[in-house]
Amino acid sequence: MLKKFLYSQKVAPYVFVLPFILVFIIFWLYPLGNSFGMSFQKTTLGQEAQWVGFDNYSKLMGDGIFLKAVTNSVIYMIMTLAILIPFPMLFAVLINNKFMWGREFFKSAFFFPALTSVVVAGTIFRLMFGEMEGSLINSFLGLFGMEPMKFLKGQFTGYIALIALATWRWTGVNMLYFLSGLKNIPDDYYEAASIDGASAFQKFTRITMPLLKPTTIYVLTISIYAGLAMFIESMMLWNGNNSPKNIGLTIVGYLYRQGIEKNNLGYAAAVGIVLLAITMIINLTQLAFSGMFKKED
Amino acid sequence: MKNKGAILLIIMSMILVLSGCGKSSNSSSGGEKSVLDAGAGENATELSYWTFVELHGQHFEKMLEKWNVANPDRQIKLNVTVMPYDDMHNKLSIALQTGVGAPDISDIELGKYPDFLAGTPQLESLNDVVEQYKESIVQSQLDLYSKEGTVYGLSTHVGATVAFYNTEILDEAGVNYKDIVTWDDFKKAGIQVYEKTGKYMGTADTSAVWQESLLLAQQGADLTDDSANPIVNSPEMIKALTMLKDLKDNNVISTIAGGQPDTEEAYGEYNAGNYVTAFMPLWQMSRYTNYMAELSGKIAIAPLPVFEKGMPRSYGGGGTATVVTKTAKDVQLAKEFIAYAKLSLDANIEIWNTLGFDPINMSVWDMKDVTHNPENQFVKYFVNNPFDVLNEVKDEIMLIKSTSASPTINNVLCTVTLNEIFEDGRDVTEALNAAQEQIVQDLK
Amino acid sequence: MNKNIALKIVLFIFFGIVGFLILVPFYAITIASFKPGADLIRNGLNLNFDLSAMSFDNFVFLFTGDHSYFTWFFNSVLLTIVQVTLTLFVSATVAYGFSAYEFKGKNLLFICVLLIMMVPFEILLLPLYTLTNNIGLMNSYSAIVLPGIASAATIFFFRQYLRGIPKEIISAGRVDGASEYGIYLKLILPVMKPSFAAMAILNGMNSWNNFLWPFMVLSSGNKFTLPIGLKTLLTPYGNNYDLLIVGSFFSIVPIFALFIAFQKYFIDGMTAGAVKG
Repeated sequence: MLKKFLYSQKVAPYVFVLPFILVFIIFWLYPLGNSFGMSFQKTTLGQEAQWVGFDNYSKLMGDGIFLKAVTNSVIYMIMTLAILIPFPMLFAVLINNKFMWGREFFKSAFFFPALTSVVVAGTIFRLMFGEMEGSLINSFLGLFGMEPMKFLKGQFTGYIALIALATWRWTGVNMLYFLSGLKNIPDDYYEAASIDGASAFQKFTRITMPLLKPTTIYVLTISIYAGLAMFIESMMLWNGNNSPKNIGLTIVGYLYRQGIEKNNLGYAAAVGIVLLAITMIINLTQLAFSGMFKKED
Repeated sequence: MKNKGAILLIIMSMILVLSGCGKSSNSSSGGEKSVLDAGAGENATELSYWTFVELHGQHFEKMLEKWNVANPDRQIKLNVTVMPYDDMHNKLSIALQTGVGAPDISDIELGKYPDFLAGTPQLESLNDVVEQYKESIVQSQLDLYSKEGTVYGLSTHVGATVAFYNTEILDEAGVNYKDIVTWDDFKKAGIQVYEKTGKYMGTADTSAVWQESLLLAQQGADLTDDSANPIVNSPEMIKALTMLKDLKDNNVISTIAGGQPDTEEAYGEYNAGNYVTAFMPLWQMSRYTNYMAELSGKIAIAPLPVFEKGMPRSYGGGGTATVVTKTAKDVQLAKEFIAYAKLSLDANIEIWNTLGFDPINMSVWDMKDVTHNPENQFVKYFVNNPFDVLNEVKDEIMLIKSTSASPTINNVLCTVTLNEIFEDGRDVTEALNAAQEQIVQDLK
Repeated sequence: MNKNIALKIVLFIFFGIVGFLILVPFYAITIASFKPGADLIRNGLNLNFDLSAMSFDNFVFLFTGDHSYFTWFFNSVLLTIVQVTLTLFVSATVAYGFSAYEFKGKNLLFICVLLIMMVPFEILLLPLYTLTNNIGLMNSYSAIVLPGIASAATIFFFRQYLRGIPKEIISAGRVDGASEYGIYLKLILPVMKPSFAAMAILNGMNSWNNFLWPFMVLSSGNKFTLPIGLKTLLTPYGNNYDLLIVGSFFSIVPIFALFIAFQKYFIDGMTAGAVKG
């Protein structure tokens, strides 16, 4: 009887998606609700949590270090968007060009960095950006007669190091996304345009860019997410979560600091909820503007 | 397709073979994890121990051998895990909070210690096992790790802060370190060193508060008042940092890679002879012998300079407590073992021999055969004998209180304030006022 | 024609320069793995190629020294294999459910899949941590594998892939009297093979390099994975840089070998993840 029930065409789909439902409820919805609840509580070691209403949130708004973390994360996100969308797109178009030599080699070479773990990549970059005269970047600057710089101690130079790491790791990946987008553009479009006498630049702006829009939106969405949630990169570059003057502190870093280092679970939960809100607002706005919610299929 | 499958097979088998041989070669030291047998038999109890200093594990290994010989029916195997400073303390804090995953025995560094005493400490009282050693050890080192009369952690060393001078550079500049008594002397010497050699006399630390602490201690001041409130903008603190800033402006001291002498980058800088002096607790000796081998025979130890002659010339800096957690497998055994491994006379002699620390059992300080043993690696390394200096300043070793506010104070000073003052040139008073405000805000 | 040659050369030089910049860090760490750790600490990572200062000492230490590197390595291999196998199977099953059937709540559930893809996992760190602790999974590999076992991105990808498979296979199966599950296991799974290769590689990459969550969940040293283990070497107390650099270098090697062997799938796997309009 049970077997017959489970094997019916009505029940089978639920059996198939059951693992997702379970994972979604247990490891996603429940913790999220939990987190939401916790953000209205004050938790102290070994004591019952207290309900404190919006205290955590109002404290957050006046917390200079949190605002610093938000600023850092947002600037990081914007800078990664500004670099990691146009350049990979350009590279994809160029590498797809029929005049390209060694296409497969360059595809692989560009992709290599994505294979390294953040721990390894971060360590390499920390040592490259070391303040010693002999470190890679400083010895390079030395070739131009520049003094060694303390990259990881200044705000602007700190951003440079972070962005360099992100650019290094993600250029190849994003390029591959755009390449797959390019595959879906039929060649006849370009041929027709050539017959009409369009220049290469016109073809790029009139055909390539509009038709790459779905890919661009996808890359944009995951980049916003990744930019705002960045943490380990900073942790590895500064060998810990405490960068000088908090120049490398991110929102997730602050969540980690409050929740794990200071046991302020309630306050950390509020940080998490704010991050969720920021991510959702930015992403949904972006998707709405790009017309993703229009009925399709 | 077939071909690729074969390649995958080869790679996978390669990986498995590699990991296979890894398993067999997985034993002691190297920076991570190891089980110390120390002659323990099959019935030994296995205890886990976390630390952030690999050397501490080596000391425990020595003491464990002695323990297992002396207590054949209560033998111990020690499972040592070494983790980086922050990670170890974070993991321990979470494990204690949740009651899952904590080791039986752990090290906790003084700077983080107050966090573990907050609320109801999830650590075992050590009062009973301390009792029999009480007479012989410095009381203030027990108090440092106590709360309301209960001892929760056992100290490793006094940490008397001294000056380490690189005599080779000083000779080149024509400076005798013995003539440096006050900070004015230090400044004069530093200017001379910079002019003659282009090297810096010392460091302007941005990621540690050793310098601020020692300057406060010699003025009889502290970072917190009697009721544990932060006072980082006190006149004494302003005086201390103004003096350091002046030294920096005169190229006597300079910031160092890593931010303070006890970092891997700084070891490199010292080793290369770019800085003359480190004002550090005595345990910095082991950093010299381990990581700055090229300076062997060149480093002299001396009492700290002071603002005015007659001020105390040292303070007990840093420290690591060994604790037994509430979730320990065999609480009594763990307690007795750590008391033996850290408080017994044997242990204190070993602490000097292996670790190069100034033991908290002060009677060791007078044992000439131990302290002046010509075979000892530390005795061999340094120009003069450390205990000659220690005994000279013995009654001048001040303490900076460790309070619930201390971790926050350290964090704000080391991430923000000192960087602002030494890297950005922010006004001392202004920076300290801002720090005070931030600390008070954070503690709310 | 000449113009084309010129274009080829310009393009090649341009990509050559960018490619060079991208490969420099690899070159740097490769050289560094032959130098003593102390040198690295003093000088930072650089490109100085000085044979007299270079030796195989670090590699000898890596393979014969007393350390836990290969315990971590083995743990990582094990965890990656288990995680990838389970995640792929479970995600494919879920994706099949979404693509083959019409059922109540399907749209809502699929929106949940999309939602998960858009929300940073990091905000769930603390509650997940508490949860893991409450259900007694702390310091176990289950705690690492379970939350990701129905991976949203993988489900999404498989569903896209399944849309391209003719529905006739399913109805033919039904005519032949196969059960709903039989159809999936015997008819659909074999057809999905190519997409499995791509997803295996992507998931494997993520799993091999995964850091934050395992780092929070695992507490005993003998369970550490490679990234966690390597991070424990980043402490000033101990001459760990010898092992750190050569270990980092060596951790890249297997994944590079896999990449080169399965390059086509790698790139297909990556590119197929992108959304089609």
